[in-house]
Amino acid sequence: MVESIMNQDHDHDRIVSMQLTARMPFLPIVIQCVETAAGVFGLGREESLKLGLATEEIFSYLSERGCRGEIIDVRCMNGISYVRVELHFPLSELDMGSLNIASSVNCENEDNMAQMGLALASRSIDRLNIIAERKNRICLLIEKDKAYPTVPEAAVAPVEIRGALTVGTPDPEGVKLYVTRVAQGPPDPLRPSFFQYPGQVVDMVAAGDCQVLTVTDSRGECAGGLLFHYWKPTIVEVLGPHVFEQAREGEIEGMLLEDCIAKTARSKAIALLNLTGMSVSLQSQFEYLGFTKSYSHDGTVVEKPAFYRLLNEDPGCRIFTDMVLKDYLQREYDRLFLAREIQEIHDQGETKAGASIFSTDMLRERSLAILNPLWPGVDLDANVRRHIQFLRDEKINNIFFYIDLGVSWQASLIPILLDNNFRTAFVAPFAGQADLLVFQYDRTES
Amino acid sequence: MPARPICWCFNMIEPNLNLLVPAYVREFEPYIPSKPDSELQRIYRCERLYRLNNNENPLGPPAGAQEAIRRFLPIQGGLYPSGDSYYLRQEIASRHGIDPDQVLVGNGANEVITFVIKAFCEPGDNIITADKTFAVYEWVAVFSGIEARVIPLREERFDDLAMLKAIDEATKVIFLCNPNNPTGTYWSRDTLKKFLDAVGGRQIVVVDEAYCEFVEADDYPDGMSLLADYPNLVVFRTFSKMYGIAGLRIGYLAGDRSVVDMIRRTCVVYSVNAIAQEAALACLRDETGHIRRTRELVREGKEFLCTEMGVMGLPVNAGEGNYLIVKLPGSDTLAYRKLMHEGIMIRPMTGFRYPNHIRVTLAKMDAMEAFVAALKKILA
Repeated sequence: MVESIMNQDHDHDRIVSMQLTARMPFLPIVIQCVETAAGVFGLGREESLKLGLATEEIFSYLSERGCRGEIIDVRCMNGISYVRVELHFPLSELDMGSLNIASSVNCENEDNMAQMGLALASRSIDRLNIIAERKNRICLLIEKDKAYPTVPEAAVAPVEIRGALTVGTPDPEGVKLYVTRVAQGPPDPLRPSFFQYPGQVVDMVAAGDCQVLTVTDSRGECAGGLLFHYWKPTIVEVLGPHVFEQAREGEIEGMLLEDCIAKTARSKAIALLNLTGMSVSLQSQFEYLGFTKSYSHDGTVVEKPAFYRLLNEDPGCRIFTDMVLKDYLQREYDRLFLAREIQEIHDQGETKAGASIFSTDMLRERSLAILNPLWPGVDLDANVRRHIQFLRDEKINNIFFYIDLGVSWQASLIPILLDNNFRTAFVAPFAGQADLLVFQYDRTES
Repeated sequence: MPARPICWCFNMIEPNLNLLVPAYVREFEPYIPSKPDSELQRIYRCERLYRLNNNENPLGPPAGAQEAIRRFLPIQGGLYPSGDSYYLRQEIASRHGIDPDQVLVGNGANEVITFVIKAFCEPGDNIITADKTFAVYEWVAVFSGIEARVIPLREERFDDLAMLKAIDEATKVIFLCNPNNPTGTYWSRDTLKKFLDAVGGRQIVVVDEAYCEFVEADDYPDGMSLLADYPNLVVFRTFSKMYGIAGLRIGYLAGDRSVVDMIRRTCVVYSVNAIAQEAALACLRDETGHIRRTRELVREGKEFLCTEMGVMGLPVNAGEGNYLIVKLPGSDTLAYRKLMHEGIMIRPMTGFRYPNHIRVTLAKMDAMEAFVAALKKILA
């Protein structure tokens, strides 16, 4: 069965969708559709082919192993700055484990790398993720960024700020100027790579993936800026403020932060989060959560402090933990004055069945992988080890594991992660069903 | 734990909420009210809790209203209340010299806000209000698919010129909060009349007078007295603040008869319960000096807090109303949590777009002293 739809609705004219059966004879149709849609959506030829290649690996994998003969919905979405391919499909319990990106890695036999469709696919695209949907359905999504010219080498003229300042949302030229000034400023290893591509940020703003605020003087000179986007469904990550007129640093930072809060205070956002460094003068308005380490390919290590600010009152909540971290969590909650009921979970011999699934959010450009548990299973320990091995083989330097403390079964992963060289980095309040406990893989102990 | 995959299918089909629910509802984040006091005391580990967050009247309702609540018989619970608050509308109308049909009673002022927006607005329209004011005007508009144009305050006041400038052909309602919650600033009678003249009847102008009974300034306008001159004016009043029956949920609006007749079409009758109607009636008939006593309490609390905050070097914005706002050196939401552990519940102002400010209800002196002591402790 093949059914292809080009949606006519204006709200959906960024989506092409197709429904077909997971069988190998349909593979050319899927590849053709993805490559064609990617081209129409503005992806370059080379990027379109890579996206098609990744789709080929995944569709083949699913047709032969994951959900053979089942109905698959394939959606290609124009994200403006990227193209996304989503594959939605049902999965039977017997095949659950096959969806782990590291499923083909056998801890007992490292040479057994056959049928590693997901892993192969991850190499040709920018991001890969797995999302558990309702009714035992899975969404596997891959994204490929469009290619943009980097910031021009010619330095923009120094800023001369005069008179009264105003804060607001810049037009596309203002966004490009802001991004260019940031990129041409002092190097910052924590800065995301899109700050090298002004056009990409303009497209991200157009797509609603982020917002930019700038402070300008009466002549329109840009004195500073800030970029923010949703890190989690209710948590906004703030990048900046970036200040280009040091003499008025406090004033500019204050204006940008206040406007950012004004824009998020009555939204679905619960909190602001900063993971890329914050000026000392603003730190008193945030709460220090902890830090992660950023390992570069060249061997340098940079500590990344995490700052947080709740936008609402803390209504309190219940969280689950293994006893091994109960004292740590209690200390953290006392330090942050958060009202939490901490409930220990205990293994009391209950039956566990099936294979666990972890989703893997891979960002190769940043040598970063974030693991999230999707389903429990009997093989948690082996699955953690498989993922570590796989990610190390893939030369991923920064491996994180997010535990949602509001989901009881995830707490059973805590001692397993600690036994496998993961270390607690910080607790992000309300970043999951309850709080998110961020673990980072400690490379120094491996 | 998420459901495990199964190998057979249910016939039950789940609703496609992406198709069924309008985007403006899906995108709206519902307000999460505070947990009950006993729950808060348990999770914040405090033995007692001073409620200084909702601008409630610590004296409670006037004596007559208390008696009305007491004498309500359980058997009356089985009867529907007056569907349109008949006697209460009569009383309100007679006190303001208007027709009872010019009055519409709702389940708190929040409900009458909803009536007005439903009556006048459809997707594509907009309402105008301030950025730093009572949030419900904006919320109801947004989850109804109506654009909310929020105009920044100027010198902590509603900016009349900027609001007039923001009006366009799609503007249906302008919401003013007088005195404003949380700044306590107000428009004088002269400013309000000039604004209404400038609007010229092209839009509905709502003046929310939830805190009017606290205002003692001579030039503060009684919106009800302007109804005859401005048929596009709608005035909101509540029994939750000065009259101390917030728990019963009752408020009302008044306007020109033809305007109220339109608003009534969006009003669900029987939403106001019988005890609330009886108690509200008794509030209006109170002759025991409830308003005077409350004003004295507010005045005493305001003077005390202004002095103490001054000693602590914390800027205060103390206007009209039974509240004031204090600027803190750091995060207001962190201060909320620290104060909760000390048994003090205030309102952090980030949600009002006032980061690093808290709003404190002016209450009895034991609560005021406890607040000051706790604030000194957490800022030490």
